[in-house]
Amino acid sequence: MTDRTRGLKDLLWALALAGLVATVLRLWFGLGPTTNLSDAAPWGLWKILNMVAGVAISTSGFTMGFLVYVLRLERFRPLMKPAILVAFLGYGCSCGALLLDIGLPWRFWHPFFMWNPHSFLFEVFWCVTLYFTVTAIELAPSVFEKLKAERVTKALHKVAFWVVIVGISLSSLHHSSLGSLFLVTPQRLYPLWYTPLLPLLFILSAMGGGLMFLVLVRILHAHWYDREAVFGPTPLERELFLLGSVRGDGGSRRRQVGRDMPVLTDVARIATGILAAWLLLQIYHLAHPAVWSTFVAGTWETWLYAAELLITAVVPIALVWRPQFRRSPGALAVAACSASAGLLLNRMDVGIFGYFRSSGVVYFPSLVEWALSLGVIAAAALVFLYFVENMGVFAVSPAEGDGPRPFRVSFDSLSRVWHTALRSGLERTTLIAVLVVPLAGALMYPPYARRRTVDVRAASRLDVAGDSLRIDGDRTGLRTVFSHAGCQKRLGGDSSCVSCHHMSLPGDTTTPCSSCHRHMYTETSIFDHDYHIKAVADSLSLPGPFPSNGSCVYCHAEGEAKTEGNAKACVECHSEWRDEYANGTRDLARAPGYLEAMHGTCLECHQKEAAERNQPLLQQCSTCHRSLTPRGSPEAQLARRR
Amino acid sequence: MNAILVDVTRCTGCEQCVDACIDRNHGDPLQAQLARATTKDGLSADRLLSIAEVASGRFARLTCMHCVDPSCVSACLVGSITKTPEGPVVYDPEKCIGCRYCMLACPFHVPRYEWDQPVPYMRKCDMCADRQAEGRPPACVEACPNDALLFGDRDRLLAQAHDRIDRGGGAYLPRVWGEHAFGGTSVLYVSDVDLGPLGWPGRATEPIPDLTEPLISKTPFIGTGVACALLAVNWVIRRRMRLAAEAAEADAATGEDAE
Repeated sequence: MTDRTRGLKDLLWALALAGLVATVLRLWFGLGPTTNLSDAAPWGLWKILNMVAGVAISTSGFTMGFLVYVLRLERFRPLMKPAILVAFLGYGCSCGALLLDIGLPWRFWHPFFMWNPHSFLFEVFWCVTLYFTVTAIELAPSVFEKLKAERVTKALHKVAFWVVIVGISLSSLHHSSLGSLFLVTPQRLYPLWYTPLLPLLFILSAMGGGLMFLVLVRILHAHWYDREAVFGPTPLERELFLLGSVRGDGGSRRRQVGRDMPVLTDVARIATGILAAWLLLQIYHLAHPAVWSTFVAGTWETWLYAAELLITAVVPIALVWRPQFRRSPGALAVAACSASAGLLLNRMDVGIFGYFRSSGVVYFPSLVEWALSLGVIAAAALVFLYFVENMGVFAVSPAEGDGPRPFRVSFDSLSRVWHTALRSGLERTTLIAVLVVPLAGALMYPPYARRRTVDVRAASRLDVAGDSLRIDGDRTGLRTVFSHAGCQKRLGGDSSCVSCHHMSLPGDTTTPCSSCHRHMYTETSIFDHDYHIKAVADSLSLPGPFPSNGSCVYCHAEGEAKTEGNAKACVECHSEWRDEYANGTRDLARAPGYLEAMHGTCLECHQKEAAERNQPLLQQCSTCHRSLTPRGSPEAQLARRR
Repeated sequence: MNAILVDVTRCTGCEQCVDACIDRNHGDPLQAQLARATTKDGLSADRLLSIAEVASGRFARLTCMHCVDPSCVSACLVGSITKTPEGPVVYDPEKCIGCRYCMLACPFHVPRYEWDQPVPYMRKCDMCADRQAEGRPPACVEACPNDALLFGDRDRLLAQAHDRIDRGGGAYLPRVWGEHAFGGTSVLYVSDVDLGPLGWPGRATEPIPDLTEPLISKTPFIGTGVACALLAVNWVIRRRMRLAAEAAEADAATGEDAE
């Protein structure tokens, strides 16, 4: 046994040692001299390969937890421990490399106490550290069993289900958030990879690729440790079976592959199903005209992207599709290898290659970066082998056949559900938890709902200059500077709003004048016919399936063509406007042009004031249209306005 | 909210503002010269402000734009970068852990890192927030001999920028750079040549935090929602399995009775 893994272990030790040297170099000399990171490429191999990709490829910990603990598919139990080990080591890898990647490693604990819940990196940090703890708790029984600490093991088994639930929730958050990290770079990430779908794409590819990686790990493990479990008996052994010189029942005599193969095939089928969903989503993204035109441009990114789709999804799906391939350990290994490599390539694309064009810098990791990155992975692999050899990680044998599911998919009557709902203790706790967990979510919400920054945006959204509005109705660039605050003060403060903000929107300050005064010079109809049909029907409570049909004659004369001419006058119903528009010179259904409305609003008052206060300047054009009359330098004007 | 208005037509590219900036930020003059010669945009941890020639005889300054709704502020996981109500986007080195996500998040490629320091920090222009607190303008504005830089309230400077364009009679292009880009910036430009060569990233007007914050605010509900769904599914399965086992037991019992 040791002979078979000797070469592998020597290689891993050499890599781990190189990683140790690289760690010392990085800590001694700092990031600049030891890495090829720069201001143009601030994120490199350690962040992308070890953190983003490393976390992605270790998803099997939570997906297998879902299958075994939540769906209770006992058939997959043999892969549970290896999956947890992969997750623990994958997250350990990423935490280790990340610790050396950040500029001030001794401050790694800062995000625990200094919060910015609006940052996706903050969410990733919390979820990854919490999930790392979760995997440690999940892995602990293996260690304590070995130590024969039965009470601890028992306690851990008791909480295992809840730990798995917490783990899956955390995973569903941070695997998508790792994609969301790159949402902040719409200008920099190459459009083939930038999409608002990034979080969804990331979690799907991580789930599919992670399961395929677990299949690969199992097959590699079998290659080194227990060939027969996956590959089945060797030809020689099979000969011996047939000769009857080796003990075996009738079933195993015909078996060509090992006992674990059916489970691996099932895992691969689930994984390729998820990868197919990922592929469909990628195609949907690709179908966007802007993305498609980038794709057909035929740059080197195009080929990288196409290769990524091919090896992540197309090759594994094609292989697993065919029964003879998915039942063959060799072909399954190829499919798993391809999907895992594709997952890594995808993360490298989004995190590294996709930025080459916008930054203008081609980043290639330095020797120290490679050594540290691979060294950390090698160290994790050594720990993996230690666990495999000493903790019996792969020792669980699959439940034979698993048989038919112990229940049918059907619906019980509500009364039966009610009477059987709360009989068992764990079920009761589960139901209570379903009710309590949303409360936890509600408690978590306030920091997210809080505004992230000082509210300085309102001012820049409106066309506002200080306390003055710049009015430019016909967009000629010749603005009228209107001192809103000044006029408001002169007209009598807050009570004066309605003197300008009028009609059915008294005091309304958010609807722009131009929403009714739509044309610059001519009047336009502002009568909302549809609204009135409905309002009349509602107010009369008209009967029938189409009550609105009866409302015509409320305004229009019956038996005549329905025209504007024979309709009721507005004030007949809107009596509140009777006094205001008594002289009938204004048609309520028609809004005057913008120019007339503006001049009407300001000029009447200005003319009156000019006469009363004997200040003829007040009614001159240049009083408001100041850009028509240059006075002094811009700076002088600015100073005057202050 | 304060801002700086850059009039590209008045800038002669004398770089007195750059020298004043290096002085004020205690940059290493030698390293700064090196950055000027070797980097694409002339910015480095020792040179937080640089002048780029955008067209023959036309210069524009490159520095932190002090966005109205900054991406870096939203991205920093420990909240070491903040937008002050006075305008500057400031950085607290005491909180920083050195993750460099701000450098990835900035649409203007502004934050720089002290790569060669054993204890490195991020460096960027802070619009001389300390000088502003004393009532003085930023060092670069004070140093400009040609009045190419104006310092003041952002809204007033915007009005000023539009006034210059309106009265210029075609002397300026009809666009104020920074008025709307990424929700608006606190460094504004008026120019008679296109500032594209400066690397202005497109014409996006949406603040970058608007791309992430609607999503991340749903975090508590996604997390607890997933947990609820899992528990509910598990409850159904568990109940069904128990009922099936009970039925099987009952069958066995009646079978034994019959025997």
